[in-house]
Amino acid sequence: MWIRRLRYWLESARRSEALREEMTLHLAEKAAELEADGMPPECARAEARRRFGNVGLKQEESREIWIRRFWSELGQDVRYGCRTMMANKAFSALAVLSLALGIGANTTIYSFMESILLRSLPVADPESLVVLNWQSPPPQNADKQWVHVMHGLQGLAWPGGKGVMVSGMFPYRALETLRVENPVFSTLFGYFNGLTRNLVVHGQATTASTEYVTGEYFRGLAVSPAAGRLIDSGDDRPGAAPVAVVSFATSENRFGGPPNAIGKSVLVDNVPFTVIGVAPPQFFGVDPAAAPDLYLPLHTNLLVDGTQADRMYGDENFYWIEMMGRLRPGVSRAQAQAALAPRFHRWVETTAKTAGERARLPALIVNPGAEGLGSLRRQYSKPLYVLLMMVGLILATACANIANLLLARAAARRREMAVRLSLGAGRLRVMRQLLTESVMLASLGGAFGVLFALWGMRWLTLLFSNGQENFTLRAELNWSVLAVTVALSGVCGLLFGLAPAIQSTRPDVMPALKDGRGGGPRRRGQHVLVVAQIAISFLMLIAAGLFVRTLNQLHSVQLGYARENILLFSLNARQVGHRVPELGTFYENLRKRFESIPGVSSATLSQSSIIDAPRAGQPIQGTMKIGAVTLDGARVMSTGPRFLTTMLIPILAGREIDDRDQPGWPPVAVISERLARTYFGNENPVGRHITLPEEKRDLEIVGVSGNLRYGGLKNEEENAMTVFVAVSQFAPDRVTYALRTAGDPLRFAQSAREIVREADSRIPVTNVITQAAEIDRTISREVTFAKLCTGFAVLALLIACVGLYGTTSYNVARQVGEIGIRMALGAQRGAVIWMVLRRVLLLAAVGLAISVPAAFVMFRVVRSFLFETQPNDPVNMTLAAVVLVSAAILAGYAPARRASRIDPLAALRRE
Amino acid sequence: MGRKAQKNDSLPGSLDMLILRTLSQRDLHGYGIVQFIQQSSGNELLVEEGSLYPALQRLEVNGWIDGVWGVTSNNRRARIYKITAAGRKQLAVEARKYAKLTLAIARVMGAE
Repeated sequence: MWIRRLRYWLESARRSEALREEMTLHLAEKAAELEADGMPPECARAEARRRFGNVGLKQEESREIWIRRFWSELGQDVRYGCRTMMANKAFSALAVLSLALGIGANTTIYSFMESILLRSLPVADPESLVVLNWQSPPPQNADKQWVHVMHGLQGLAWPGGKGVMVSGMFPYRALETLRVENPVFSTLFGYFNGLTRNLVVHGQATTASTEYVTGEYFRGLAVSPAAGRLIDSGDDRPGAAPVAVVSFATSENRFGGPPNAIGKSVLVDNVPFTVIGVAPPQFFGVDPAAAPDLYLPLHTNLLVDGTQADRMYGDENFYWIEMMGRLRPGVSRAQAQAALAPRFHRWVETTAKTAGERARLPALIVNPGAEGLGSLRRQYSKPLYVLLMMVGLILATACANIANLLLARAAARRREMAVRLSLGAGRLRVMRQLLTESVMLASLGGAFGVLFALWGMRWLTLLFSNGQENFTLRAELNWSVLAVTVALSGVCGLLFGLAPAIQSTRPDVMPALKDGRGGGPRRRGQHVLVVAQIAISFLMLIAAGLFVRTLNQLHSVQLGYARENILLFSLNARQVGHRVPELGTFYENLRKRFESIPGVSSATLSQSSIIDAPRAGQPIQGTMKIGAVTLDGARVMSTGPRFLTTMLIPILAGREIDDRDQPGWPPVAVISERLARTYFGNENPVGRHITLPEEKRDLEIVGVSGNLRYGGLKNEEENAMTVFVAVSQFAPDRVTYALRTAGDPLRFAQSAREIVREADSRIPVTNVITQAAEIDRTISREVTFAKLCTGFAVLALLIACVGLYGTTSYNVARQVGEIGIRMALGAQRGAVIWMVLRRVLLLAAVGLAISVPAAFVMFRVVRSFLFETQPNDPVNMTLAAVVLVSAAILAGYAPARRASRIDPLAALRRE
Repeated sequence: MGRKAQKNDSLPGSLDMLILRTLSQRDLHGYGIVQFIQQSSGNELLVEEGSLYPALQRLEVNGWIDGVWGVTSNNRRARIYKITAAGRKQLAVEARKYAKLTLAIARVMGAE
């Protein structure tokens, strides 16, 4: 039967024509019959029609038998919708634009969330992977002393809830213990971050991020090679031939394609390795935050890192290796935890040396591993949720706005609707047509929104990465993101179309038909929407104010050293074979050559940039004493000659570290003013000594520097006590040079690279950056937030103003008669303007009033993002309110002025 | 609307049966069907004329009747409908159903 229906549908045009002809004939015959009964021809035709009923509707009903009415009407609606949109170009453009911005912003943020929070590792059956973590009570006792079986940690530990410590690092013995006869895992593998290594391919040196992996790593992840073979158990034992697997990207960039990489010899920190395989293109290791370029067998760190690596394997209190397992089929995560936790407990108990350590034993936790490690997640999930909330609000205001404009337009179209309803159109039918129009607007908005999103994603990636070369977060438009966008557009269309559609199809058509002017009663719905928009804009303005203020606070932090006109770059000569004491001479010669570049007034070096110093670690590990007193809370920085001069840190007494401080000479130190005051009071510290009992050395204090902020801007210790020692006497492997330049520092980067290449072409120059940018990098989140939030607030305010303008204009148009009467009775223009503005201000005031409680909820969410800024700062709130009210007045003034220009006579004539 | 005769809305769905019954006696065009029903019911049943055409479409889609272009008694071009074999079967089914229904109603009314 449906085949016949389909045929009818295909012939629908011809059939409609036939049907029309049949009905015409019917009417004619009826009329003829009535005429024969003696009715005048005119009356007969009318009577025939009357008896027949609604010809159009009956035709529709008949057609519906063979066409699904839905589709035919949809076609009509879409055509009609197109015409309406073309007829109101300004309205349509405005609506599509604001929606596109809203949907684009949402898609952008969602695509980031998807890539960070929701996407699985690109390996086979990611659901059966688990990550092993542990958690323990806080590691410090009441006296803030460290009491924990973990004596040393290489990697990350982070605070869990209620002060507990959580980490994914284990001693190697733990891996061995859990690996034997494991009933729940089909494979258990370990890995650790090998940091950045010097990789020489075909004589060309660059840096490569490295991952050390056990022999079961690739088998456990079920990854197959793009070329060659991957590391297996035979490669991962002491004394095996050193082999390496490179990432797909590395094989393309450095070897000219995966097949060319196989069998090539490379140098990793000057140790020869043979490339045996290439990882597949989409594989990024187990941590989405760190995509390694190079995978090395775990035990090759004995070759690369030497004796220090040797100790790591035997030390049961040194935590450094991470573990992942693949569950056997049918084994749940809870079962795995139940099986392994007691075994881990028994083992870790044997490593505790004191009762205090035994009281804080780590407990094993088995976490899902499908998404990989959570470092990115921990870092970005909260900011992303906050951003998502903001863009959600923006989309809500955009929707409210369009609903508002549609309501105003619906009022103008009341007559049209009334005519259609009275001609027999079904109410649902008219509503559906209106909804089709709004969904069309939304779809267009969604389509443009995707374009905005593409652009927004590029911009946001740039903002998030903030110049980091190895930023691995890649958001992309995939099907799941697009599906969300499509759904979002559809929901928006229905959301903002529904209220106007219901309202304009109210069955009481008579008043609308009679009222020729197309006006209508006051729309309460419109006011509710405007108030909501104002409330949302106010929240956004407050948030933007808070983030901008936070940024200002961070920028006004007293550093104690120069921020501008300094070029920073790092190199590591040790990785290519330079050793102490030649290493020191090498670095010092380079420094002198940098200083001779024209335009460079001074050059120095240090273990790292000042802002990054806490992460670089201390050059002196043991305790420091002044006489019998232990130096507490002092930070040590290893610096080269002329450090204080280059960084513009004042020298308050004595001298700074300079060329005199050679490797063989008595070691010296320069201390900061606060350190001097704390430990020497008003005495002159120059000439006194700091002793290092563990190293059996002595530092002679030769100078006092001004106070400087050590580490990041958000650290609590403002003027940390600093001890500067000489690079030549406490040599770090890697150093950061700082050049004080005239003009833009980056102009000198090329000369610096040339000099390094001449000195030793195997050493890559990394992290070339200005001091200002290096500092800003530590507050990238705050910068991002301030920029985004300000942008969002402006957007929301703009949208709200458009809404306010639309509502006010509509109200003025509705009140033309009233205003005309008032003016005819002698009302002044000013009074009319005030009458209109009063309502605008009332709406704004109501919006402000209801958003204040919401603001306090928001404060709780954003508090952790602020720096030295009170969320409920009254100045900020007042400022936001003033901006909002000014914008509201601006939006309301144009219609108000128009109202004051109404010609009373013309207005009254229309009544 | 001051119509004397009863509008055929007492038994929903009976219009289809009436059309089939009419066409089982002779081939007719739309207006002819209306007139035939009216006359054969002694002007008691008045088909709502507009509803005839949707009903005809429905019957045709179901394959119970077949419409072909022909000429009316007044020599005007019209679609003449004739009943098909399937239509006759359907008519029998509906007639049986109708008979049962009226019998049931008659019993109820008789029991009063």
